[in-house]
Amino acid sequence: MAPVSLHSVKKAYGEVQILHGIDVDIADGEFIVLVGPSGCGKSTLLRMIAGLETITKGDIRIGDRVVNDLEPKDRDIAMVFQNYALYPHMTVATNMGFSLEHRGASKAEIAERVKWAADILDLSHLLDRYPRQLSGGQRQRVAMGRAIVRNPQVFLFDEPLSNLDAKLRVVMRGEIKALHHRLGVTTVYVTHDQIEAMTMADRIVVMHAGKVEQIGAPLELYDRPANLFVAGFIGSPAMNILGGTIAGAEFKAAGVTLPLPAGVTATGAASYGIRPEHFQLSPQGLPAVVSLVEPMGSETQVTMTLGEHVVTGVFRERVAARPGETIHILPDLAAVHLFDATTGQRIN
Amino acid sequence: MRTDLSPRLRVALYGLMCVLLIPFVFPTWWMITSSVKPISDIFAFPPDLWPRRFDFSTYQRVFELQPFARQYWNSAYIAAIVTAGTMVVSSMAGYAFARIKFPFSNAIFMIVLLGLLIPSEVTIVPLFQMFLGWGMINTHWPLILVPIFGAPSVFATFVMRQFFIALPGELEEAARVDGLGRFKIFWTIALPLAKPALGAVAIFTFLHSWNLYLEPIVFLSSTQMFTLPQALTQFTDAYGGAMWNIQLAAATMTAIPVLLVFIVAQKQFVEGLAHTGLKG
Repeated sequence: MAPVSLHSVKKAYGEVQILHGIDVDIADGEFIVLVGPSGCGKSTLLRMIAGLETITKGDIRIGDRVVNDLEPKDRDIAMVFQNYALYPHMTVATNMGFSLEHRGASKAEIAERVKWAADILDLSHLLDRYPRQLSGGQRQRVAMGRAIVRNPQVFLFDEPLSNLDAKLRVVMRGEIKALHHRLGVTTVYVTHDQIEAMTMADRIVVMHAGKVEQIGAPLELYDRPANLFVAGFIGSPAMNILGGTIAGAEFKAAGVTLPLPAGVTATGAASYGIRPEHFQLSPQGLPAVVSLVEPMGSETQVTMTLGEHVVTGVFRERVAARPGETIHILPDLAAVHLFDATTGQRIN
Repeated sequence: MRTDLSPRLRVALYGLMCVLLIPFVFPTWWMITSSVKPISDIFAFPPDLWPRRFDFSTYQRVFELQPFARQYWNSAYIAAIVTAGTMVVSSMAGYAFARIKFPFSNAIFMIVLLGLLIPSEVTIVPLFQMFLGWGMINTHWPLILVPIFGAPSVFATFVMRQFFIALPGELEEAARVDGLGRFKIFWTIALPLAKPALGAVAIFTFLHSWNLYLEPIVFLSSTQMFTLPQALTQFTDAYGGAMWNIQLAAATMTAIPVLLVFIVAQKQFVEGLAHTGLKG
């Protein structure tokens, strides 16, 4: 186990700047998730930690060593790849013991470590099989087994669940988290799935266009997004964002005036953010015309037009309204987010 | 493979395949049956598809008229060395062109590919001069070195490159994380996975070397050094006329390894070319 520190890390391919100076400190044993849309640079950053990409500027430290110029094998890391990268011509046992074999471990030690990892991951009965004879979930576990067998200082996961179906993804999410609890190894996990990020991370690093938008605990990001990007990216269904103007204790958007929480001192153009579950049904509320009702069982998701804005509400109650009918909704003022219209930064 | 062809279409397809088989099967059949006919029966009219009389002494005569066993050995060992050498050179070169970034790699590969466009008849005289200078005329070295390092291995390099290009990059990256250097990645990961392509390279290299004709008649002059295709031209009578039945017996023995190799390895051959994207 070791902390990982990224200091002003930049990456450029020729003239094209991919990462614009990333600063992240990952504590020893922490599970950190890099999340962001496709092309934001999260996988590139992970590959730079692994040593599979060169670093244009800045420093990466693993433990107390600057690893910028070290080969991947000398960084004491293990990586789980998106497509698992299991060697097709080797059995599960050989795949898992391969790195130990090339580091000069004795046969007895390799067998012992492979058995240990296989027991943890419930792979003992599959050790003689080839990757082509395994299901997606089993391959995923073998890839993890290959990573843990060497007892590295850092685990790196590059979108490891993206090839699994939704049900298996939930199961494997739990297994990875349980494995982290058991082994306590510092883990950097890349995903574009914000549900994965929210459910697995100790802290999340939200990235966008080669920059870090916010770093924080999952609920911290959810409850207090630092800017419009994080507000829109974290949460499903996404936060409703309405453009308009702060005027005293009210927020004037196109076709609707929304109440503001007490103590808002900012004025002028801004964005008003409210999560779908923070709307309440109330006869005293604002009129909204229903366009779609999606009953989920435990809750009901309603798409509606509020003033000139299309918004989404999620209600614990069963909503009987039909498309075209009007319901009345009120925002929970304690859960209103305000963002500067120009910079997109949070202002309340 | 199951197909949903209608019976009529199936019959038509099989009929077409039978017609297409004729130009391939008939000469082989004619060669084998004529090799056991007395020479007077070969030119009988109408021709006999099945010999009226069998004369197996033709096979014995092949070995009496020429040092045929020695020539057989010459062809076999040259083909074996050329096959092994080409597999080594083309797999390493193909891997380098496919997976290693180095300056002008694409341009260099294009230049290498140009070797395919130059007919061997164009280079044979300069090669003769070169090997003459090295004292290698009437040795087997030109028949070994030219195919391994010259134009014939370019196609093999191309096949291997196409295979290695399709190899997932993550496998190499995983190997790097596992502690392997470039050569070990090639040797322990890439090469074992390239078996189908290597198989295809081995088959067509062996066939090419086995059937080589122009080079042996330029570089070799003593019958002890001859290879089989060259030896086949030597079965003539005192007046230079071909001893057809003996020549065809020799040809049958020459063709057997080729047929065996292809029958045994045709699946590998087709798979290998399919992996390289060369399949039509």
